[in-house]
Amino acid sequence: MSSSKSNKIVKLESSDNKTFEVEEAVAVQSETLKNMVDDGCANDTIPLPNVNGKILEMVLGWCKKHVDETVTGDELNKYEADFLDLDQADLYGLLMAANFLNVKGLLDRVLQRVADMIKGKKPEEIRRIFNIKNDFTPEEEEEIRLENAWAFD
Amino acid sequence: MLGCRSTLYQTMKRKKNKSKNTRNKTTKRTVSKTRNSISKKQESPHKEEYEEEEEEDTELGFSLKTSAAPSHTHGVQPLGNLYLNPGSVNSRNTGLGNLQTLTDELVLDILGLLGASHLGVLATVSKSFCVFANHEPLWRNLVLESVNNGFLYNGSWKFTYIVAHYPSFDVSSTGVSGLRVRDFYSDYLFQSWLCANLEMKPEWLERDNIIRRKGISVDEFVLNFEEPNKPVLLEGCMDNWVAYEKWDRDYLVQLCGDVRFSVGPVEMKLEEYFRYSDQAREERPLYLFDPKFAEKVPKLGLEYEVPMYFQEDLFSVLGYERPDYRWIIIGPAGSGSSFHIDPNSTSAWNAVIKGSKKWVLFPPDLIPPGVHPSPDGAEVACPVSIIEWFMNFYMTTKTWKKKPIECICKAGEVIFVPNGWWHLVINLEESIAITQNYASRRNLLNVLDFLRRPNAHTLVSGTRDRVNLYDKFKNAIETSLPGTIDELVQKAEEKKAQQKKLSFWDSVADSKVGAFKFSF
Repeated sequence: MSSSKSNKIVKLESSDNKTFEVEEAVAVQSETLKNMVDDGCANDTIPLPNVNGKILEMVLGWCKKHVDETVTGDELNKYEADFLDLDQADLYGLLMAANFLNVKGLLDRVLQRVADMIKGKKPEEIRRIFNIKNDFTPEEEEEIRLENAWAFD
Repeated sequence: MLGCRSTLYQTMKRKKNKSKNTRNKTTKRTVSKTRNSISKKQESPHKEEYEEEEEEDTELGFSLKTSAAPSHTHGVQPLGNLYLNPGSVNSRNTGLGNLQTLTDELVLDILGLLGASHLGVLATVSKSFCVFANHEPLWRNLVLESVNNGFLYNGSWKFTYIVAHYPSFDVSSTGVSGLRVRDFYSDYLFQSWLCANLEMKPEWLERDNIIRRKGISVDEFVLNFEEPNKPVLLEGCMDNWVAYEKWDRDYLVQLCGDVRFSVGPVEMKLEEYFRYSDQAREERPLYLFDPKFAEKVPKLGLEYEVPMYFQEDLFSVLGYERPDYRWIIIGPAGSGSSFHIDPNSTSAWNAVIKGSKKWVLFPPDLIPPGVHPSPDGAEVACPVSIIEWFMNFYMTTKTWKKKPIECICKAGEVIFVPNGWWHLVINLEESIAITQNYASRRNLLNVLDFLRRPNAHTLVSGTRDRVNLYDKFKNAIETSLPGTIDELVQKAEEKKAQQKKLSFWDSVADSKVGAFKFSF
């Protein structure tokens, strides 16, 4: 007879009142949830008021994939790459959720993804991508540009 | 030579000024207007403006160091100020665009993955990114990751990096940016700047409740302090030390200024370290902490002696294979170590040769507030910096029944840190010290227990051979001091049996409660 632990279900509720049920092994990919489980606080539905249903579903999908032993290394790589093909709103929502839920692998991946969006781009491109207003006066911009001229070769 | 920044004395001076300026419940933060002799623009106009907009602090406010770091982007205010300025827009957000929903920590995590040139470009994107991309800890990491044999500190970590990697770029032509960043509110960045520039408050330094002894015998020390595992401050142990007489910065630089010592993750020349420690203004200054100082400069090892109380040094049975056991420690005001227990369950002594250190000690069974060790003790989560601990947690101990042991250890004094005790140390001024960790018969059993733990590979310290240290050490002790371990084990068991007996009779004879208590 299998131990009760391996069949244990963790119930989660998103900010928009969607409920999700996942196996404990999946849930504990999140350090935050793992701590709750270890402390015995995971018997009732756990409310997650700062993660909406769409994002939570994504995070749980990631966690599920990472405990699935039938998934090969290559498949996992492809999964992770495709996973982050998101619009910015979802990307940052995912980032904050991964941070709050402390899912290390996911967090690292998303941080890297955003960093990659910045690397090697010119200032105007960065402003365009991230919808940033240039709030320097012309004089200030000149000064800042001079100060950082070394970075522009 | 630039004078050492004496945190202690500055704080005392400012205490007088503060009482003059105090009105009603608020204490304005006093910022010294004294110009520092380092050639940087210290008097940023926006600093004064910042002072006026500061939140009211109904506790006693705080004082800044005389040369508060003028990062290019000084002018960052705490988030609370935003609410005191109705209608104000947070330029942090407008300048981050889509990233504004992220926390400051996450933004910095992203920037931490970028290279130097990426950060340089980013700084020109918006005022907000200018503030973030110039965050000094980012540049500190870039410097420390890119060098392993030292660095020439140059005013700021960012400049240090640029000078080292872009030597043809003329930093002096640009100077410190006069960019005024108004309306930028961020708790994280403000806190970071604050901790880097805060002075130790007088009330954090007042309590001094350690026992002090001078000229006691070794037996007295063992009986009253080492055996019962209590800290003590010993005076007069260093009177014969050449080091106590001669060691200061000039002497050391003359003797071994170009020798590389361990400073955090790098090995750097002593004279370069002093260059850094003179200029840098940080939350956690890099600390020179070298376990091989006597091997690198034998003369240093000859100019001090192990005080007589600590001559029993059982790890010496391992000869050259012994784990690290002695360190020279040099650091500026503000450097130090946050709460930890010394590894391998060893006891320690720490002798201040120059300068002064503030100590806070908690016994093994009393975890300091704000400190969270993992169950196996392998990890300890605690506030990032010592100053932060003092700001947020120190005062809570005032109401505790069991208070921590505290003291200021001055030049010429030696503190005994019993095994297992939590301790925090902060240099109040530039300090030079020697410390050694050791095992004697009083803590040998504890040490052996520690080394034998199943997760020895993560916990044991000071040696590359962590897993085998237990066996090696135990065997070496059995060889050199046969029967010692068994003797100690027997003694310990007798003691335990006695204590059990006592508590039973204690409860039976407990007349305070007015009735017999039987605890079968």
